[in-house]
Amino acid sequence: MKVKTTRFGELELNPSDIITFHDGLLGFDQLTKYFVVDPGDSTLILWLQSIEDEKVAFPIIEPKIFKPDYIAKLLPADLNGLELETLSNAKLYSILTIPANVVEMSANLKAPVVINSAKKVAKQIVLADSKLTVKHEMYKELKTYIVNFSSDDSKRTNFAPSIALEAGDLRSSKENYARLTNEM
Amino acid sequence: MLVLTRKLGESIAIDDHIKIVVVQIKGKQVRLGIKAPKETKIHREEVYQAIHDQNVAAVQVNMDDISRLGEELKKK
Repeated sequence: MKVKTTRFGELELNPSDIITFHDGLLGFDQLTKYFVVDPGDSTLILWLQSIEDEKVAFPIIEPKIFKPDYIAKLLPADLNGLELETLSNAKLYSILTIPANVVEMSANLKAPVVINSAKKVAKQIVLADSKLTVKHEMYKELKTYIVNFSSDDSKRTNFAPSIALEAGDLRSSKENYARLTNEM
Repeated sequence: MLVLTRKLGESIAIDDHIKIVVVQIKGKQVRLGIKAPKETKIHREEVYQAIHDQNVAAVQVNMDDISRLGEELKKK
């Protein structure tokens, strides 16, 4: 299928790549269908492009790139609707805000986007950790990463998992939570 | 919206497992205690507002700025 986008023109999309946000994203409740665009440029930024509104595209990035120690601690309730059977299917991204003064770019560490890459459902999750902010400046760290590593693609993808379940909170009797605990 | 009047120390029960207690009243501030199952998500409303505003700001990105960012990031 063809999808019109304001930023990338008309794109060819395989319907199986459509990602559903059942709850939308905060401020965009009505938009539930997205897909990931990788422009393949040097910034390592991907885009979460809406199918229903061509103007809406969120720049996203894997937070491990600029903050290797970042771990999203998810509560069992966070997994509701994500249909995750194993955490290894979960992909984690931070939404970026990029102003005209690009060195002031920031990442939302407080509310990352979690995508179940197998089931193609996703959710923006508000983390409980009160030290995380919605506006974490990270230009310097991203630049350091790109200058040092981006020429070597093999180093890009092998990050340690950036999602953890709050172990003490696994009280739910739901079967899939139990399964997740066993795997951890 | 349901509006209830409560005195200091009194509480409200929501469903079977959530309890909200008025812990302290001091001038214009009310301290609330919340008892809920671990999986219940509780945040100050401002947190959601901040995320909402950040999402709205994020989609306003200009592609010229992205190109410039790409150039800046590559510079040694």
